[in-house]
Amino acid sequence: MTDSKTSLKPLQPTLYELAEDGHSLNFFFMQCSACGGLNFPANAPGCMHCGEPLSGAQRVTRPGGGELLEFVTLHVPLLPGMAAPSIAGDIRIAPGIVEEGVMAVGDETALKHGMTVRAVAAMKPEEGVYACRFVPVNEGAVQ
Amino acid sequence: MSNFQQPTSGNWLDANGGVFIVGIGLHPYQFPSETPYTELGLTAVRAALQDSGLPWDRVQSAYVGTTSIGMAAGRVMLRHLGSTGLAVTQVENASASGSFAFRQACMEVATGMSDVVLAVGVDKHGDGRRAANKDGLERLSETATIPAAKFAMMARTYLRERGASVEEMANVAVKNHSNAARNPFAQFRKTRTLEQVLASPRVVGDLTVQQCCPRGEGAAAVMVVSGNAIRKLGLDSQRCVRVKASVAGSERPEMQYGDSAVELVRTSAQAAFDQAGIAPKELDLLELHDAFSVEELLYSEAIGVCDSGEGARYLARGDSQIGGRCAINASGGLIGMGHPLGPTGIGQLAEITRQLRGEAEGRQHPKAQWGMAHMIGLGSVSVAHVLSASA
Repeated sequence: MTDSKTSLKPLQPTLYELAEDGHSLNFFFMQCSACGGLNFPANAPGCMHCGEPLSGAQRVTRPGGGELLEFVTLHVPLLPGMAAPSIAGDIRIAPGIVEEGVMAVGDETALKHGMTVRAVAAMKPEEGVYACRFVPVNEGAVQ
Repeated sequence: MSNFQQPTSGNWLDANGGVFIVGIGLHPYQFPSETPYTELGLTAVRAALQDSGLPWDRVQSAYVGTTSIGMAAGRVMLRHLGSTGLAVTQVENASASGSFAFRQACMEVATGMSDVVLAVGVDKHGDGRRAANKDGLERLSETATIPAAKFAMMARTYLRERGASVEEMANVAVKNHSNAARNPFAQFRKTRTLEQVLASPRVVGDLTVQQCCPRGEGAAAVMVVSGNAIRKLGLDSQRCVRVKASVAGSERPEMQYGDSAVELVRTSAQAAFDQAGIAPKELDLLELHDAFSVEELLYSEAIGVCDSGEGARYLARGDSQIGGRCAINASGGLIGMGHPLGPTGIGQLAEITRQLRGEAEGRQHPKAQWGMAHMIGLGSVSVAHVLSASA
């Protein structure tokens, strides 16, 4: 799937797409038809809240972001090819849904617990993709 | 041989005359080597048989806890002891594989299906393949399924909420490396100062290398028998340790951020205490999953050997040292003794058995009567066992 606003493809196409501004990301959720709860990722085989199959549920698109709950610096690559140092954060992206994300800030001093962060695209033209990074809401560019 | 008896206590572990550990054996945990897993496992099994006084042909069933060796590891190894036709079952449950192999052995003995069962954990350093990476679901971060990042964030939250310091957390590693230095089966055999722990390379957040468990290989085995078998086979009842609780569970949705793993530990431990009929503060020994230093502080509070919020102070007072109120990770724990995965949970049970017998030379906790082995496994799953020195 190639987004109409860029020739690059989302690195994780089941999770997000580029928003209208060409920079922010929208996340895909699935809303359970039984309990009404949101699920992420949208292709989960069962509702994380009530266990109902999500095959007939409605897909919901929302601006990506949420509350930054915790963050740490990864000082060494924990996986082959991973950039280090980097900063990982736990973000509440919807009620009852906490996901780990990559924070696009220079160091931890740019972050505070409880702050609102938003998902933005980190363009990787050499790989032909854009990836998800999180920045504080008052920041516009990915570093 | 079995003469099944219903328990009169309401505890399923009291059936068949009770469930006991009668023999223990280990192959030292070590860094990855070319040693075949069969050699590791057979060393542990032969030691457990010798310790128990049981011949191999008395063993009716074997449970083999392993994560990284591959299919059908048990029969390939155990045939070298003699092809007796015993039942062989492989158990995989991440870090808790050995613990769950032991739990299966306990259930088989308690039901009267068998009276003599082997539980063995054996592993080589594997490639780390995990089901969470094969579930067809993408994740926002490539480290989302890596425990180190999760526990480093839990450490940050713990230190902030408790007002504890990085140094207080690092002292978990100082204590456990000190215990491991006195354990001939431990992967690390050196004491570490606080300065050395803090100066070792940082891995994630406030966790340094020496606050993280190593990966490696090794084996641990225990012989599980019924109370009836002790009498019928003339085993040494004075060296038998009784299993008084066996509880397993898995993670529920978190009620507040970051509490799901801790709640899993809390609920499984409490259920085990209820089954054993003791209070948490009656424990003399506690072996727990300290893959990262912060876990010992979190879980000592969750299990209840100290009050909520007291984990760091409990450690600082020396209450969790050998000779303290409850010796936590007298073996050296995962940080010091090592964490080869399949053997780890059975290694905990072997350590507690050795301590309850009064045979932990060089690291004996005095007057030990009750011990708990508590493990969690990736996912998360939990398993708790309570052992008693008294029959």
